[in-house]
Amino acid sequence: MKHIVVKELKELMRDGRFKVALVILVILLAVATFTGVTQYKRSNLQYLDSTGKERTMWETQGEKNPHSAAHYGTYAFKPQFALSLFDYGVTKYTGNSIFLEAHNRNEASFSEASDQTSLTRFGTLSINFILLYLFPLIIILIGYSSYTKEIEHQTFILLKSQGIHPVKLVLGKWMAIFFPVFTCVTILFLIMGIILSGLENLTFFSWIGLISLYTSYIIYYMIIITITLLVSMWSKSSGISLVSCLVLWIAFSFITPKVATNFVNKDHPYPSKSEFLSAIENDMKNGLDGHNPWNEAAKQLKEETLKAFGVDSVSQLSFNYDAYRMQKGEEHEAEIYEKHYEELNKITQEQNKTYKGLSFISPFIPLRFLSMDIANTSYNLHWKFTSATEKYRIEMQKFLNYDFKDNSKTGEWSYQMDADTFKKLPKFKFGPPVLLQILKENAQNILFLLLWLILPLGGLIITSKKI
Amino acid sequence: MFNNNFKYELKLLKRGNWLSILVIGLILLFAFAVYNGTNNVTKRHNDISKMQEDLHEKDSTVLATLIKLENGEKVNTPAWQLPSKPMTIGYRNPRLAIMTPEVLSFVSTGQSDMYTHVKRPRAYGNNFALDYSEMINPVQLVFGTFDLAFVIIYILPLLVIAFTFNVLSKEKELGTLNLLGAQPISIIKWVIQKMAIRYIVFTSITILILLIIIATVNIDAYSDSSAMLSFILIIASYILFWFILAFIVNIKINDSSKNAFVLIGGWLLIVIIVPATINQIGSTVYPTPSRLKMINEIRWIKKVNEQMQDKIMSDYLRDHPELAEGKGEEEYGFWHNYFASEKVIEEKTAPLLVRYDQQLKKQQHLIHLFKYLSPAILMQQSLNNIAGTSEKHYNSYKKQVFEFSNTWRNYFIPMLFKGETFTTEDYKNLPQFVYKNKLPNSTWYNALIIILTTVLVSIVFGYKTIMNNTV
Repeated sequence: MKHIVVKELKELMRDGRFKVALVILVILLAVATFTGVTQYKRSNLQYLDSTGKERTMWETQGEKNPHSAAHYGTYAFKPQFALSLFDYGVTKYTGNSIFLEAHNRNEASFSEASDQTSLTRFGTLSINFILLYLFPLIIILIGYSSYTKEIEHQTFILLKSQGIHPVKLVLGKWMAIFFPVFTCVTILFLIMGIILSGLENLTFFSWIGLISLYTSYIIYYMIIITITLLVSMWSKSSGISLVSCLVLWIAFSFITPKVATNFVNKDHPYPSKSEFLSAIENDMKNGLDGHNPWNEAAKQLKEETLKAFGVDSVSQLSFNYDAYRMQKGEEHEAEIYEKHYEELNKITQEQNKTYKGLSFISPFIPLRFLSMDIANTSYNLHWKFTSATEKYRIEMQKFLNYDFKDNSKTGEWSYQMDADTFKKLPKFKFGPPVLLQILKENAQNILFLLLWLILPLGGLIITSKKI
Repeated sequence: MFNNNFKYELKLLKRGNWLSILVIGLILLFAFAVYNGTNNVTKRHNDISKMQEDLHEKDSTVLATLIKLENGEKVNTPAWQLPSKPMTIGYRNPRLAIMTPEVLSFVSTGQSDMYTHVKRPRAYGNNFALDYSEMINPVQLVFGTFDLAFVIIYILPLLVIAFTFNVLSKEKELGTLNLLGAQPISIIKWVIQKMAIRYIVFTSITILILLIIIATVNIDAYSDSSAMLSFILIIASYILFWFILAFIVNIKINDSSKNAFVLIGGWLLIVIIVPATINQIGSTVYPTPSRLKMINEIRWIKKVNEQMQDKIMSDYLRDHPELAEGKGEEEYGFWHNYFASEKVIEEKTAPLLVRYDQQLKKQQHLIHLFKYLSPAILMQQSLNNIAGTSEKHYNSYKKQVFEFSNTWRNYFIPMLFKGETFTTEDYKNLPQFVYKNKLPNSTWYNALIIILTTVLVSIVFGYKTIMNNTV
């Protein structure tokens, strides 16, 4: 087997096409790494700068009415996670900042893609782009003629006559493709790891995360190697093998995900934003409005409060009832938002299930989801971030409304909160889930990747005995 | 000789499986893409209809209350929510600013999955900073949709490559090239004729199948004949580009396996690598101005100008103008102060927003210049242009909504300052938003560019070979 590997590698090194492809790949990788690191550094600096400035603005508001401060609000920014350098995931499409204010749950705003031209939809030359699309092509380039060339050059009979075991032959050819790919990917991840660990103010970088990402891609490449060899084994000529491999590559990486999007839209459509906001507005209309003492829910709250405290009018209460009602209003509104956003999240989960359900057609899909999750650039992570910001918003409103309630009397709208109190509001902190949890959540994706590896590999070994 | 060549080529194509595979493949691809595109447009229409129904329902309730008020009947509405107050209508009953789809919107999803198509600008509030993003699972945006644009830009060139990569090399490999050389026609002329015949056959089949499928699934598409014609022309030009590339590779390399390799490499470069590289380098060299920085700056302006606003109006009513009560002079005074306090911030933030917008436009303009580097980018721009789903269309929509929000506000302000009540008669005269596609059809121009590029490419690479007959 060793001889086969050496012979195949020698042939490969002599192949001009491989050399050209390798040079192009290295140039593209250098461009992607340089631009990616530059962009990452810039975004990370912006994140750190904006977070610091926003907090300073919050803390230096001076004496102010708490409700006014609640309307002035604050911004929560999503950290630039270190591994996003490997996989941008959905980050370009989601926006990284959320405005936290009284009465409203806002969406993350200003997505990068909405500020860019439609050219973005072609994709960007990132490391992730090269890992996902170009490395499989290199594998196809190396392996499409592994068997067909032996037939075309009529060396297959010679090989057989040497008494070589067909399984050893196929494994030798497999190893000969795997070795250069493994070397390139390992060097790439190692360089990126070293660059990343050398960067200042890095957010949530872990070598274990990087190794997990690396392992996922290596498994994916093993799958592509196996499939390429299978195709080469079944094809009558190198041309047919190349075309078939490319058709599979396009079907895996482009067609299946796009077709899946159409299924997803048909089976689990999202409401339009206007429809979604109207539904929330309608629910709000019938509930407790913290600013409207005349609506039914407000009247009921007043009765219950008076009864609970054993007084006849709100002026007899020891706290500011207006602020208390506002807080109750906030809680009610937050519940409505929670209900609608949960429904939306359910639709998204159903959509993602449909995507993942199509993993049996393409190994690209489980890898894509797994990679985004490990790199902390997935929808799951974004949902966790938006949920965390909403939790923080509710806490912030409570903090302000309670200060208003406890330190002033009903009707005292001119009350001003002490300037130092702003500093007591805890800072917003958000961290990604631990790797183990991510891997657990991705059990199905990992399983599909392993199945894609084991089944074709089994097929390859069985087929090798038959030719 | 051309006639013989033509007849022979047709016979060859008929006898081979290629035409059947091409026809079946195209039917499946186009039918699925047109069906998906039409579904997306139908969903957009349905969403708009739902919003219109909701508005109609809401309008009926408001009108009923107005009639009651005009008849002097009692209504169960808080004073600050009475529809007879102009600002209640201006804020609580905004009109729908709808971006209606174009007849060919099904051709390309473009940016339509990212942006909303219905806005409700109100008489006050931050109309200058409306959020236009649509609710969508971002995974869908990462993967994209299977639409006609995808089939035409990505898959059609591959079919052309498969149809042309071995036109000449096959003769060499079959050993019939020498026979050809003995014919009373130069080989180069023979290849040109063969490629021309194949181009006509391929383009005719493609366009015919596409037209039949569009007629079956979405007959309305034919109502805009100019857009339809430009659509056909740009497809024909794009196919021509790939044929010319295949022709050059055929005469320059003349080895089936290498031809396929080079052509697929070319496809990879033109459709995948060049656009992605432009994108990445473009955003590094001319980065999109930071939105985070902009947020910080706006927040800072708000913070430092709060005191000035406080002098004009209390912060509570500034945050909740809808709660303002009072009549006549009092109401006039309130709104006068409210707009004055809002103006403080608007005036201060306007230059910042203009500066940001200019930076963004400059960056987008520079990126746009690179579109000439790849016909695939030109195709994408053209198809988005025909479909009315390009970023330029959405920028124009945003501009129109902004203008309408001013019209809407200006409709109520005189009523407010004159102390007039809002009546059922006024309801009939409310300003309405009508979206106009103000962008010219740039597809003709882009088609011309692709054709010129193709001619240029053939001159640069093919001229010497043709002149010297060196095949």
